[in-house]
Amino acid sequence: MWAHEAWAMGLMFVVDSLNKSFHTESGTIDVIDNLSFSVEEGQFLCIVGPSGCGKTTLLKIMCGLETPTSGNVLINGVLPNPQKQKFGVIFQEESLLPWRTVIQNVEFGQEICSGRCSLDIARKYMSLVGLVGFENYYPHQISGGMKKRVAIARALAVDPDIIMMDEPFADLDAQTRWILQKELLSVWSQLKKTVIFITHNVEEAVFLGQFVAVLTKRPATLKSLIKIDLPYPRSRLTPPFISYREKIIGMLQQEIPSI
Amino acid sequence: MGIRSSYYKGLKSIIVGLASIVTFLLAWEAVFLVMNNPFFLPGPYQVFLAFIRIATLGDINHVPLALHASVSLYRVLLGFVAGAVTAIPLGLLMGMRTTVRSAVNPIIEPLRFIPPMAWIPLTILLLGLNGYIFIIWLGVFFPVLLNTIAGVRRASITLVNVAKTFGAKDLTILRKIIFPSALPEIMTGLRVGMGIGWMCLVAAELIIPSAYGLGYLIEEYFNYAQTDVVIVGMITIGLIGLAINYFMLYVEKRMFRWRVDVGT
Repeated sequence: MWAHEAWAMGLMFVVDSLNKSFHTESGTIDVIDNLSFSVEEGQFLCIVGPSGCGKTTLLKIMCGLETPTSGNVLINGVLPNPQKQKFGVIFQEESLLPWRTVIQNVEFGQEICSGRCSLDIARKYMSLVGLVGFENYYPHQISGGMKKRVAIARALAVDPDIIMMDEPFADLDAQTRWILQKELLSVWSQLKKTVIFITHNVEEAVFLGQFVAVLTKRPATLKSLIKIDLPYPRSRLTPPFISYREKIIGMLQQEIPSI
Repeated sequence: MGIRSSYYKGLKSIIVGLASIVTFLLAWEAVFLVMNNPFFLPGPYQVFLAFIRIATLGDINHVPLALHASVSLYRVLLGFVAGAVTAIPLGLLMGMRTTVRSAVNPIIEPLRFIPPMAWIPLTILLLGLNGYIFIIWLGVFFPVLLNTIAGVRRASITLVNVAKTFGAKDLTILRKIIFPSALPEIMTGLRVGMGIGWMCLVAAELIIPSAYGLGYLIEEYFNYAQTDVVIVGMITIGLIGLAINYFMLYVEKRMFRWRVDVGT
């Protein structure tokens, strides 16, 4: 199996010939078909694919919430296990504990991971994502963008080995999304964490990722892995940016002709 | 202007409420005067005097009203605690595990439709004169159980996944996600259960012989044909039930400040 060798070569995150199918009453549904790619330590990888191609299933396998039918995901050479490794997972849906204040939400991951939480660490990451002054608010009192910041601070506060995000900004308005994208890049460049960012928004993927993995329609497999050779901070209006974007949109169009 | 108008609104609703009570008492007095039979229906003033008498001098055995009320409350609290500590864990388990639900439901569902009062004869036979607790437990158990199950099933799967991706084990998920998610429903169940428990208690006290309790007071003075004391007992039961409900609503409101919809 080349995965172990790959890890030896410094690849911290490896998806190796991954297959996943679900058995339902109406038969077997193949969601992921022989998917392979890898990420080096500290890299920012975006995964784009047509809607319903199995991106969320992929994320669940990557963070150990689902087991693959065959193949492996290896993080630092071992199967994903949130009880042994530290993951910072950010979901698309509302994921804050509504009965906890903002600061208590940020402390939640530490509380689970290490059994105790350090207020200093929580405060550090809160200031990193611009939440100072909102410590004692409850989630229902803050905006959608603020809630995402809290989820990001909560994920960072456990000092994760890897950050995995599943369309985290999909529900936000365009302005808030742009602000959070910039902030995410700034956090990433400061902390040097490995980030895997799933999205269906091609512009977002090109703006954020050092690499963009394009998936096919279901069952998802790797269509192309594109290196985005543009320096940060990126401008959405430069010709190279647009050409990357158009190239990827073209690939997705082949998958779903109606785009 | 906002503060003033809300102040007047509050004042207005108090005045309207008081007027309503006065009207009720006047109507009662009118019916009393028309019937002219203090034996069957005493007037408000006579009931007031009976209240003072029972509250200060006590009943025929010199047991004051406060002691009757305390004994009743004590019994309800015992049954309430018993109901809560059995129904909440079972409800959590039934909410989380389909197997447990399928195993327990066929037994619990039919039992649920037997009114607690129907259990009284069998209770006296099997548990003797201290069967109150069982009757109250019956009244408290089912609303708490059903609400706990509903609360658990309403818990967000995303929050459970958040805890899992941080490495939480089942017990931690139960403690930190499922239980707090279900707590508003559990509290509603406890409040409803408390109301039903209180009613069950009085029904049980009317039937099971004892020398204490508000239900006993009513029953005893009915036998003496002193309707004024019967009504004193009824009013005390109503007022205590009201106070308990307000207290529990207050606790709920304090506990769930994080909820948007509380107290509206």
